[in-house]
Amino acid sequence: MKKYLLVFILVLAFGFILAACAAPGGGGGGDVVKVGAVYPLSGATASTGEDLKQGVELALEIVNNKHDDLNLPMAKEEGVLKGKKLEVVFADHEGKPDKGKAEAERLITQEKVVALFGSYHSSVTKTASQAAEQAGIPFVNAESTNAKLSDRGFKWFFRTTPHDGTFAENAFQFMKDLNDEKGAGLKTVALVYENTDFGKGFANLAKGFAAQYGFDVVEEITYPAKTQSVSAEVQKLKAANPDAVIFVSYVSDAILYMNTMKDMGVAPKLVWANDAGFIASGFLENLGKDGEFITSREVWAADLAQARPLVAQVNKLYHDKYGEDMNGNSARAFTGMLVLADAIHRAGSTDPAKIQAALKATDIPGDQLIVPWKGIKFGDNGQNTLGSGIVVQVLDGKYTTVWPFDLKAADIVFPFPAWDAR
Amino acid sequence: MARRIPRQAWALGLFLLILLLIPLAITNRYWMNLLITTFMFVSLGQAWNWVGGYAGQISFGHAAFFGLGAYTSTLLLTKFGVNPWLGMLAAGVVAIAVAFLIGWPVFRLQGHYFAIATIALGEILRIGFDNWEWAGGASGIELPIMESSFLHFQFFSKVPYYFIALALALITYGITWWMTNSKVGYYLRAIREDQDAARALGVNPTKYKYIALMLSAMITAFVGTFYAQYILFIDPASTMALDLSILISLVAVLGGAGSFLGPLLGAFLLIPINELTRSFLGGGGRAYNLIIYGALIMAIAIWQPGGLWELLERWRKRRRGRKQEVTHEAA
Repeated sequence: MKKYLLVFILVLAFGFILAACAAPGGGGGGDVVKVGAVYPLSGATASTGEDLKQGVELALEIVNNKHDDLNLPMAKEEGVLKGKKLEVVFADHEGKPDKGKAEAERLITQEKVVALFGSYHSSVTKTASQAAEQAGIPFVNAESTNAKLSDRGFKWFFRTTPHDGTFAENAFQFMKDLNDEKGAGLKTVALVYENTDFGKGFANLAKGFAAQYGFDVVEEITYPAKTQSVSAEVQKLKAANPDAVIFVSYVSDAILYMNTMKDMGVAPKLVWANDAGFIASGFLENLGKDGEFITSREVWAADLAQARPLVAQVNKLYHDKYGEDMNGNSARAFTGMLVLADAIHRAGSTDPAKIQAALKATDIPGDQLIVPWKGIKFGDNGQNTLGSGIVVQVLDGKYTTVWPFDLKAADIVFPFPAWDAR
Repeated sequence: MARRIPRQAWALGLFLLILLLIPLAITNRYWMNLLITTFMFVSLGQAWNWVGGYAGQISFGHAAFFGLGAYTSTLLLTKFGVNPWLGMLAAGVVAIAVAFLIGWPVFRLQGHYFAIATIALGEILRIGFDNWEWAGGASGIELPIMESSFLHFQFFSKVPYYFIALALALITYGITWWMTNSKVGYYLRAIREDQDAARALGVNPTKYKYIALMLSAMITAFVGTFYAQYILFIDPASTMALDLSILISLVAVLGGAGSFLGPLLGAFLLIPINELTRSFLGGGGRAYNLIIYGALIMAIAIWQPGGLWELLERWRKRRRGRKQEVTHEAA
């Protein structure tokens, strides 16, 4: 039996030896400031994690080197806090909330990071930010959109990206702008959404904002995303005859709706989609010309460069480094990391409370951003109050920014043309 | 024989003492988390072992019981204000009830078909919870953060969680001890070896498989509740997914299915390797951690299909054999 014990001890010892070997040598030298980033670097969303990581790395390069030609926060400085190098320690959470929390705790206790950053999945952001809250260090979130994240009364949580509530509100701001500035005369709205959390959650938000902005929801259609036919649904839509239709769909159902609407000749004045299926790569591949003129919300588009030259400058740096264009995720991660670096710099020290105070005092104008926001200023709940999405329209087979009107790359085609008049 | 029992007790006592003293030596939250997670999987692996190892009914649906445990206590807490300790008991009852209900159809199936049926069970439950809006749907439920106290089953420090996880593992091992030394254990092994022969000898296979499954579901649900109170956030993807079911069975199988110490060995090997490789190699975004982890599992599966336990047994037998040779020569 002694041997059993021996094996136990061996197994335990194995764990601890591995730990001792791998344990890092403390909180970095005097000239480095460490920040931790917890991202999905393996598993189903690893490719998104890679985009996010690249966005963060480009931001670091801009923070740590002088870029006089860029009108970005921290571009003209070399490093933070009088020449200290900003370093990001990446950790992988595999898309799992418990691992996210464990990694956040490791970064705080082992790597002695001064702030945390991440984590893409709203579920992981929930648990990872708990760890930061408990330890009393700032957590900056740049890309999770669950509205509830900023309703938790956390003191150390800051979110730069607009959340789902803002995106839902954008739909109605967009329609109101169409009415005000283009005399669109939109009044009635139909909501068409797939019947899981994704669709229902958005529909609930949308109903609230419809009332607030003075639109009438005249029809609500829910359906399962894996449906084979939507004839009955489109029939209902035809009968309700709304001015605008709001879709929350995945890709195969989005394609099905467009084909069925064409067959039945249903063409409301405005077709607006909440992202997802309508901007998935399969959508235009399948529909071709029939996918034209739909509008969808987006978080970012490369053609913002037309209104903001800064976008083109940064996208070029990104393209030179990684051989691909930025996307909504890398652009938001990039922006979030600059905001954090700027706050650390202004804090004048790595004291968490000072960084927290500096984050609260953040005030970055929209023209220093590569994202389509009016700026960055945190509310009491840590949510950026100046964030906004954009609306893109399919024009000549390309998703083109059409709203906000001051950031447009092309004029919107309105109303949605009748199917036989194209 | 009489001399060996005290030695065994000695070893056990020393091992427990080490475990009890560890929180004094390790204060770092990350290492505590690693041990807590390992204890969780000791319990989960051993509970699985009763069904998959002793009774030989391979289940790939144990995440269903884990998720039910997490959801039962959490829903009771967030919707009705029920204390999570009571919630844990309720979770056990729910899991036993579900085990009873599903046992009826799935125990008619044997071999691969049983495994397939359990996969279906887990996935049905996960998809159901994904779409159950009242229970938080796919976006899950966040538990309210309360003052640290034993009553609330919520602590800022990791130490209380450590002891609760350890206690759960000890309870699980207590049940295993009872099982292996009572007729239930012998009947289960008889069923595993040949169900029809066991029946012919007067063992009621369904009854004993039920006992194993219900106990297993109960412990798995307890650990599910513990997880919810520990992580303070649950969603179907993290508590009911197939990959959790597979990890649970992997712990038991790699350690040695059907053996007393197998799941313990499996958990103490697999969980630290999983966590440490991710932490120290996963940050590069090249998934080296998963390559090492996968290679290790393959290595054990190829060279040691009976699990780590078998390796130990063989080593012990060889030593005993050598000792006997020595005494023989001396005589």
